[in-house]
Amino acid sequence: MGRFILRRLIHGLIVIMGVTIIVFVVTRMVGDPVKVMLPLESTLEQRAAFEKKLGFDRPIYIQFVDFMGDIARLDFGDSLWQHRPAMEIVFEKLPMTILLTVVGIGLACIIAIPMGIIAALRPGGIVDRITVFGSLLGLSVPQFWLGLLFIVLLAVQFRILPTSGSATPSHLIMPALTMALPTLARLVMLVRSSMIDELNQQYVKTSFAKGLPFIRVVGVHALRNAGLPVMTLVGWEVIRALAGYSVIVETVFAWPGIGLTAIQAIEREDLILVQAIVFTAAISVVLINIAMDFIYKLIDPRLKLT
Amino acid sequence: MKKFGRLLLMAMFMLALVSTSSFAGNESITIALGSEPTTLDPQLREDGGERAVNDNIYDTILTRTPKGELIPLLAAAMPTLVNPTTWEVKLRSGIKFHNGETMNADAVVYSIKRVIDPDYNSEQISFFSTIKDASKVDELTLNILTKGSDPILPSRLYWMKVVSPNHSKDPKFFEKPIGTGPYQMVNWKRGQSIELKRNENYWGTAPQIKTVNYRFIEEPGTRLAGLMAGESDLITNLLPEFTKQVPKSVHILGLEHPIIILNADSGVTKDVRVRQALNYAVDKEALAKGLFEGFAQVAQGQLLSPSFFGYNDQVKAYPYDLAKAKKLIKEAGAEGATVELVGTSGRWLKDRDIVEAVAAYWKKAGINAKVRIFEFSEYLNRLFDRKTRADGIFVTSSNELLDADKSFSAYYKAGGIGSSNTDEKLAGLIDQARSEIDVEKRTDLYHQAVKQAHDQAYFVWLLNIEDVYGLSKRLDWAGRVDARLLVQEMKVR
Repeated sequence: MGRFILRRLIHGLIVIMGVTIIVFVVTRMVGDPVKVMLPLESTLEQRAAFEKKLGFDRPIYIQFVDFMGDIARLDFGDSLWQHRPAMEIVFEKLPMTILLTVVGIGLACIIAIPMGIIAALRPGGIVDRITVFGSLLGLSVPQFWLGLLFIVLLAVQFRILPTSGSATPSHLIMPALTMALPTLARLVMLVRSSMIDELNQQYVKTSFAKGLPFIRVVGVHALRNAGLPVMTLVGWEVIRALAGYSVIVETVFAWPGIGLTAIQAIEREDLILVQAIVFTAAISVVLINIAMDFIYKLIDPRLKLT
Repeated sequence: MKKFGRLLLMAMFMLALVSTSSFAGNESITIALGSEPTTLDPQLREDGGERAVNDNIYDTILTRTPKGELIPLLAAAMPTLVNPTTWEVKLRSGIKFHNGETMNADAVVYSIKRVIDPDYNSEQISFFSTIKDASKVDELTLNILTKGSDPILPSRLYWMKVVSPNHSKDPKFFEKPIGTGPYQMVNWKRGQSIELKRNENYWGTAPQIKTVNYRFIEEPGTRLAGLMAGESDLITNLLPEFTKQVPKSVHILGLEHPIIILNADSGVTKDVRVRQALNYAVDKEALAKGLFEGFAQVAQGQLLSPSFFGYNDQVKAYPYDLAKAKKLIKEAGAEGATVELVGTSGRWLKDRDIVEAVAAYWKKAGINAKVRIFEFSEYLNRLFDRKTRADGIFVTSSNELLDADKSFSAYYKAGGIGSSNTDEKLAGLIDQARSEIDVEKRTDLYHQAVKQAHDQAYFVWLLNIEDVYGLSKRLDWAGRVDARLLVQEMKVR
């Protein structure tokens, strides 16, 4: 167990270093923050002075050495755009995205798992057909359009929810629903097909023959075995959301999360903030992956953690 | 399942009740901005969100009427010249900051020195780059020294917000602004909102509106929805196509001018006839109607709005005349020539659409325009490239000083950061005007410069875009040429 964690952490560290180095190189190759930050009509002298002040006039290898030191201290310096520590911004925005992700994906799980099971009980039945149709629909609707649709309907037409923002719990409902729907659609299909597979297994038939209660056979034995692929998908959805995919929902609903901040930082060529965000995203991906391995082990004790 | 659905609906209604109970009272308004301020230090950044909020908290030395005329604000009268490089400013007496400190010559001198200090590294420095120093004469009088004579100084003072010498040293100054303006800070919830309340001790006319809430919504569709749902009273940058859907809209000629910089030094555009033809070839009226739903006006052959200093009302736009364009191109022997037209996408309103429409017009006139749209940063490389200039570069110029100098130094003058000509005569006029103190002489120099550039067709002048705002039914406001959102000029019914 100890060796397993150690090995995964070392792997994770390599991934994180790799990602941050790539980001360092790429952002400096494609962008020049000085150009974008100053007003268009600023003179060349003003630009040069500003570049010097920010330290972007130094050779790239010196900047790189500095950058490695920053990583070691977990301090990327001040955001060029917001003039305050980049990590402070990350720590302010990340909880908002985590909240949105947990509620959104949690909601998807709560609905998708029972729905998938019910559909799987009678493949081809009316409930199943509605579920499959609904989930195809859910998969084909673009998320930003869905968000705008919610806004127009629930906020503008019926005025039962606020259009955007994050001040009260009611502000969370529409973004969470928008976040949940595509996940729900993918998840329900997977639960359904995994459950159909499991329900056709011999052990299920044996259990029924033994006279075990229906709930126990389906809800415990079969679901547990169908759980591995489902967990994999849920983990992937969480990683996707935290690594920036939440940007669509966050933009539409003006939700001040990390995805929206990432896009804004990229638009403003705020290299420092982009680095901090990517670094944090890489860490979350690694940590979630490790957590997933443990959850697999909980679901299926036969698995060996290597 | 059914039960769950009903529960969810009920929960929604209950939450909705909670959220609507905080409905705004009569004297409170909400303004939705496209971006959140990065700081509320009024002198540090060049940031639209910051400006929108701080314009209400801080007073400037001079201000402008909604139509753009310069008038004194903290100054008691317009600044006067003591000698060619020294301006004297007399201040109003009895003005206090929100924390009770007195606004006097010390505070103004301090504010000027603060913003020009190289160590402070202000992004606003391009507004104040000619100021060398400031010194106190007496309690309410100060002198401002310029590097060389600077006739634009009054326009610059309209940007000079005055901060309190003591309070601005507070490490929390960037989020606790203290000014002399009609509104003062209540709170700033990062990522959500900023709230201001009326300064009951304001020295000027008391504003009607009591509290202002700013919200930050980047997505235009969401901003629009907020206005239509009655959550906000004012939204900025309303897309022209949405003006019919909002409760009320206001439009006013703004500071933005989309133009195409033509390369006058090499390539097929070196020939003045070709450059003129490219002007004749574009139907600007149709651009204004087709792309901006009429919320733009044809630029009159100059990179200036009528409200700017230096505007020459004798110079008119090149009319749309396809036959003439074809004839000129034929005379120049440029039929079928290829020109490269550089643009970007998503930076300015309809930037890409304008470039593509212009290219289509040029093709009709017999010039094969090759449109190249770059990502903004790469686009800037082309715009600032001094060695190889593209045949045509699209840019939207915005001039917050409302004075010809800024736009002309950047785009008209040879060697300017975005200029594509080496016209010594034009550069000479701009240089002369820059240090000419006599208003009439200076006006005349700009009139000459405008005419010279127009006759030489160094640019394709396209439009002057209007700023469009969406308003709630209860809010009355007429807009301003300088696009400032001054709440003291707004009223609720």
